[in-house]
Amino acid sequence: MSYQSSNPLVDEVEFALDGPWAAYWIAFLRVVTGWWFFHSGITKVIESGFSYTSGPGYMRGMTDTALGGIPVWMGNNLAWLIEPGVPLFETLIGLALIAGAFTRFAAFGGVIFMTLFWVGNASFGHGLVNSDLMGLLLFVTMIVLAAGRYYGLDAIIEKLDVVERHPKLRYLLG
Amino acid sequence: MTDIIDKAAMALSAGLMLLGIVVMGLLEILVGAPYSPVPITNEAGDVVASPLFSPQLRTGVVLAGLAVLGLYAAYKVVTPLGEETRTGHETVAD
Repeated sequence: MSYQSSNPLVDEVEFALDGPWAAYWIAFLRVVTGWWFFHSGITKVIESGFSYTSGPGYMRGMTDTALGGIPVWMGNNLAWLIEPGVPLFETLIGLALIAGAFTRFAAFGGVIFMTLFWVGNASFGHGLVNSDLMGLLLFVTMIVLAAGRYYGLDAIIEKLDVVERHPKLRYLLG
Repeated sequence: MTDIIDKAAMALSAGLMLLGIVVMGLLEILVGAPYSPVPITNEAGDVVASPLFSPQLRTGVVLAGLAVLGLYAAYKVVTPLGEETRTGHETVAD
C-alpha cells in the first residue's frame, strides 16, 4: 500500500498488493518472464548442449559500450564459464521464476543477462526503450515486488525455520 | 535515517533512469533527426547526422540508475533488519 498524505501527487493512491488481481497479475508476469528465459536456455541446451560458443563471441563483440572493456575481457577470459553458463543459467533462471523459488536471486541473474543483451545488441533504431530494456525492467520488477510470494514457492520457503532464523534470506527469496 | 536513504535511493535511481531514457530522449527529438541514438547514414554509408547523445552515454546513465538500486540492495543486506521487515508477507517492498 502506498499512502503519503504529504505528497499531493500520491494522495489517495492505494496499490493493494495483497489484493487478488494484483497478486494474479504479478504471478502471471513472473511465469511468462520465466518461460521466456527457460525457453531460451533449454533450446540452447537441446541444440548445443553446454557448449554455447556464441556466448563468448557475443561478449568479445561488445566493444565501445557503456560497460567499457568488461564484456570483451569476459569474452576473452571467462569463456570456460560463459559457454556452459548461458544455457544453464538461462534455464535455471527460467525454472526459478516459473516456480517462484529464489525469485529475487534468479531475477538478479536475469538483470545481468538483460543488461548485456540491451547494451550489446544496441538495437536503438526505434529509441532507447526496446524489448531488451523492457525485459530488463521486468526482472527488476520481479525483485522490487518480491514476485515469488504470489502463487510461488517462496511463500512457503519463507516460512521455513531456516528463513525465520535468518530473515535476510528473504532478500534472495520473495 | 533508513527513510532518508530509501528516499535518496528512489530519487537517484529513478532520476538517472528517467534522465537517460526520457529527458535525453526529449532533447534528442527537440534538436532534430536522428530521433533515436543511432546515426543517420546515406546510401554510401557515410554518417550524415549524429545523435545529440551517444547510446553509450544514455545507456550508461540508465545503468548508473540501476547500479544505485543494486547499491541500495547491498546496503539493505549489510544493515540490521528493522522490526517492520520481520512481519508477514503483506510488507512487500522490503
